[in-house]
Amino acid sequence: MAVINKVSFIELNARERAAAVLDEGTHRELLCPFDGLESPHLPPQGIVPQSDDGVVIVKGKIGGKPAVVISIEGAFQGGGIGEVSGAKIAGALELALRDNKLGKKTFAVVLFDTGGVRLQEANYGLLAISEIQSAVVALRKYVNVVGVIPGDVGSFGGMSITAALFNHLIMTKEARFGLNGPEVIEQEAGIKEFDSSNRPLIWGTIGGTQRVETGFADVLANDDMDEIKAAIAAALTVEKIEKSRTEKVDLYRNFLSHIDPFERTTPQSVRELWRKMDKGEIREKKTVSPTRSNITESRGRTWLTALTGMANLESEIPTVVHGEALLADEIVSFISVVPDLNNRFPRARNGEVGLDEGWAIAKYVRDIIESHRNKDSRRAIVAIVDVPSQAYGYREELLGIHLACAAAVDAYATARLAGHPVISLIVGKAISGAFLAHGYQSNQLIALNDEGVSVHAMSKQSAARITRRTIAELEKATSEVPAMAYDIASFSKLGAVDELLDGINADVPQEQDIITVKNSLISAIDKIRSSPIDLKSRLETQEALNGGRTASIKVRELLEKQWS
Amino acid sequence: METLTFDYEATKVIHKRSHVGVVGSGDLEVLLEPSDSGRAHIHIRTGSEGFGEVWKLVLDRFFTVNDIAAKVTINDFGATPGVVNLRLAQALEVSGHGCDK
Repeated sequence: MAVINKVSFIELNARERAAAVLDEGTHRELLCPFDGLESPHLPPQGIVPQSDDGVVIVKGKIGGKPAVVISIEGAFQGGGIGEVSGAKIAGALELALRDNKLGKKTFAVVLFDTGGVRLQEANYGLLAISEIQSAVVALRKYVNVVGVIPGDVGSFGGMSITAALFNHLIMTKEARFGLNGPEVIEQEAGIKEFDSSNRPLIWGTIGGTQRVETGFADVLANDDMDEIKAAIAAALTVEKIEKSRTEKVDLYRNFLSHIDPFERTTPQSVRELWRKMDKGEIREKKTVSPTRSNITESRGRTWLTALTGMANLESEIPTVVHGEALLADEIVSFISVVPDLNNRFPRARNGEVGLDEGWAIAKYVRDIIESHRNKDSRRAIVAIVDVPSQAYGYREELLGIHLACAAAVDAYATARLAGHPVISLIVGKAISGAFLAHGYQSNQLIALNDEGVSVHAMSKQSAARITRRTIAELEKATSEVPAMAYDIASFSKLGAVDELLDGINADVPQEQDIITVKNSLISAIDKIRSSPIDLKSRLETQEALNGGRTASIKVRELLEKQWS
Repeated sequence: METLTFDYEATKVIHKRSHVGVVGSGDLEVLLEPSDSGRAHIHIRTGSEGFGEVWKLVLDRFFTVNDIAAKVTINDFGATPGVVNLRLAQALEVSGHGCDK
């Protein structure tokens, strides 16, 4: 009888996983447990921290090639991304990018096991994830960025949007990979939409087998250390940089056009559709039978109309509207996500970023990039942000809402990296994955200082459920930790808001309000044109330096010292 | 969260620092560092409050048997006494102070 000598990869902890992936004897951990970089935000909330904050950074070689492995510990706080753990990931990717730019090829491999943003550090997590995503998009120009989602936690939330930006993804059948966790969907959309206790339903929708069968991941590996190591090494030998899924805007828009939300969408029907798309049997985009839009007012629409002066806004789909205006003699593009009570996807009728919305943003922004490819001056793009959330739903997960959001992230980041000034004008809600997709990749964030303006990682109801607190306990915590608060004044203490505009009528902008906002945009564009194209400036503002991002800065400094 | 500290006189030296465990459900992490203070100093943060007596019993026994001068940091997420003892032994083994040294 043959001896089966398999070592489970899933059962290893994050540090053991990282060590297992690297060639023997090449392994060097950076920011190790003794460097004392734990979360400064957990103990004040009565939560025991971990000495590495749940992220292990190891440099070494894979198949002889220099690489950095970033491994997330799913057993600590569900692998949630806080300020320190987020800065470790972002910092490592930024340094890998620096090496590659200097001609020193360094691969990056991320071992995901994460529920997304750590809700106890809410806005720190979201902010860090936007910086991680920016680094991934930049790094992908030099090397194939490889991700592994082994399970147990799998990958959720903003980190799944991040994973979707990778060139190459490896999963096991035990792993799950989706945007919104089953409990959150049930909380936000009801048990009829998604039953979070139904395990076959969950794995059938977002499990590894389904994800690979429907093209959302590349390789299905067994939970076997050697097999996973081989899959990673094989991915690194591909010299040609693979096009990432998020760049294939037409393909996925065609794919979604063949979905009829009024018919039953099953894991099997999606597999069949994807198989045909993949084989090239379906090339044409299906004309989606027009439903009559039922547009309601929203701040996003109000401000888009006010700033462009256009009565009839242009749109790819009714919920993603855009227009142009002259600001200081240059044409500027504006884009907003708006509600449509008849949206063909019912879960995206209140201004959420859903499947069609993510891809429509990507299409619009990439068209701008394309039309400026050979021009000296790159047009500024303004994301008018008023997004209550990403769309929570069964169909959304099955059809890759994480990827749709990532497509928008990628488009904005690519525009910024190509020299387009990208600005976020936050006029309403800027929540969670929706904000990551629409606005968080901007060079600058400008916000109205208004009660209706808020930035956060999750609604209070869901955040309370996931962190097992009452709403009252949650509100008490938010009053003590600025990163957990929902109001824009608290958020701006983290230093990412470049300008907070006072005294603007956010619901009914007056003539003077419009002038004020336009002037603010003009000076922001001006400033961006003479600033670096990455997001580092967020760490250099007065608020960031004066305590808003202390740990984010410290982590990067120490990491740089230990890097080479 | 509760913070506990313990202190024991010690004579043996350890040569290497070591780290084991994860702050996950029913588990804990132990950071063990050499110390020239001639004492074992243990600093614990635990999510399960009110178990000071149990910690004392487990640590009394461990540091009586293992007479090591060290700085020990423990981050605990509800580990049972058996798991605590196991992780401490593991940390000691990784630190190069195995039974044959």
